[in-house]
Amino acid sequence: MIDRLRLASLFSLAGILLAGCASTVTMEMPTIPKPRMEKIPVDVAVRMPAEFEHFVHVEEVLGKDTWTIDLGRSNASFFAQLFGHMFHSMVILGPDDDPRDYQFDALIEPTIEGFEFSVPSQSQSQAFAVWIRYRMAIFDSVGNRASSWTVSAYGKSEKEGIGGSDSLRRAAVLAMRDAAALIIMQMEKATKIRQLADGPITPSEVEPDEMQADAAASPVSREPESVIGIFAIGGIDDAAE
Amino acid sequence: MQLSKILIAGAALCMAGCVTSHVEDDRETTTGLNDGESIVIMAKSYHQGNETEADYITCIERSLQSGSKGLNVVPHQEFVDQLFPWFEPRTAPADTKGLPALMKRPGVAEAIKDMRVRYIVWLDGDTERVAEGGSLSCAAGPGGGGCFGFAWWQNDADYDASIWDLSDHESAGTVTADVSGTSFLPALVVPIPLIARTQTRACKGLAQQLRAFIVQ
Repeated sequence: MIDRLRLASLFSLAGILLAGCASTVTMEMPTIPKPRMEKIPVDVAVRMPAEFEHFVHVEEVLGKDTWTIDLGRSNASFFAQLFGHMFHSMVILGPDDDPRDYQFDALIEPTIEGFEFSVPSQSQSQAFAVWIRYRMAIFDSVGNRASSWTVSAYGKSEKEGIGGSDSLRRAAVLAMRDAAALIIMQMEKATKIRQLADGPITPSEVEPDEMQADAAASPVSREPESVIGIFAIGGIDDAAE
Repeated sequence: MQLSKILIAGAALCMAGCVTSHVEDDRETTTGLNDGESIVIMAKSYHQGNETEADYITCIERSLQSGSKGLNVVPHQEFVDQLFPWFEPRTAPADTKGLPALMKRPGVAEAIKDMRVRYIVWLDGDTERVAEGGSLSCAAGPGGGGCFGFAWWQNDADYDASIWDLSDHESAGTVTADVSGTSFLPALVVPIPLIARTQTRACKGLAQQLRAFIVQ
């Protein structure tokens, strides 16, 4: 009986110690304010990948602790709000929906290419930082790939409280807002999406690595040859608009 | 009675560390705030390496709002949300030269007019520990515990506030606060913290000077 009690105590102690070395942060739905911009006169369909329904990222800080951030549906909510604000009309397609059943000028497929974060013990600072790299593949109304665009976003939040979960959550929200700001500022120029309102692109304009915008295609698994990456820092880049 | 007063005064003095502060302004134009006009306090972008603490911004906002002559301060998050995405860390104008172009963007001038924001105050700077020393050790046992030793540390709070006048799209001037504070922690069984409230002093000093600068 005493041995059992000792064993139970040891397991409890080990459980407490292990729990102390792991932190889990669950994202709430982000709110993207209505942007001060004129809507782009394009009817878009947005196909959310399956990973946007439940995205979890785990980061092990070498020799210290493990951080898990559960973004849940926050990416799906983020892009639905953003594109709803940006374009004349928007329809959301699920991963299994067939785009041929819908009418639109352009189909946008956002994906997460990379997600990283740092905690104060890694950066030797008092801040949590989050980096998110999104890729947006854009197709015309018949499924030709018109462009592929990478957006690198960054958010940073000062550590507050004991655990830091709220700070990491805030850094992730700030990274999403940063991505939204970049997309609003640069998307039209970088992807020429406005031209798709005039009809499908000509064969000479099709991206070299053509991908059909059907439900079976997987944008994550194939790298296009031409990718426009933008990561501007500081102030409004008027020249780029 | 006399002894107890001396002890209380001595204790009050001892509870605070040593703080030296220097606050000054540099005016470029005349300022003033009409009835109903507001200001907003913003931190310069972390994309440019700024690390102004969120609680410092809140402290400045509250200090400017407080008192019978308190100013109208629009909460910075409300301002940023109303003008999304033009005051995000990446997109906020770096200097007043960008203001005329910003005001021409759809809905920006109207939103600023609706909030009646006349001045934007951009804060830059932070509070850092610049030196520390001493040694302090504590021990505890079945019969009790205690600490012995002496530790000290010095914090420097350096903040700049740039004031932009949105009615003229120009810089009105700057206010700076440089505060240095040394805290002590002597311990003879019981530690007695003598904390220098460096950041708080920098907040009060800067807010006081800002109010005088804006209202004149």
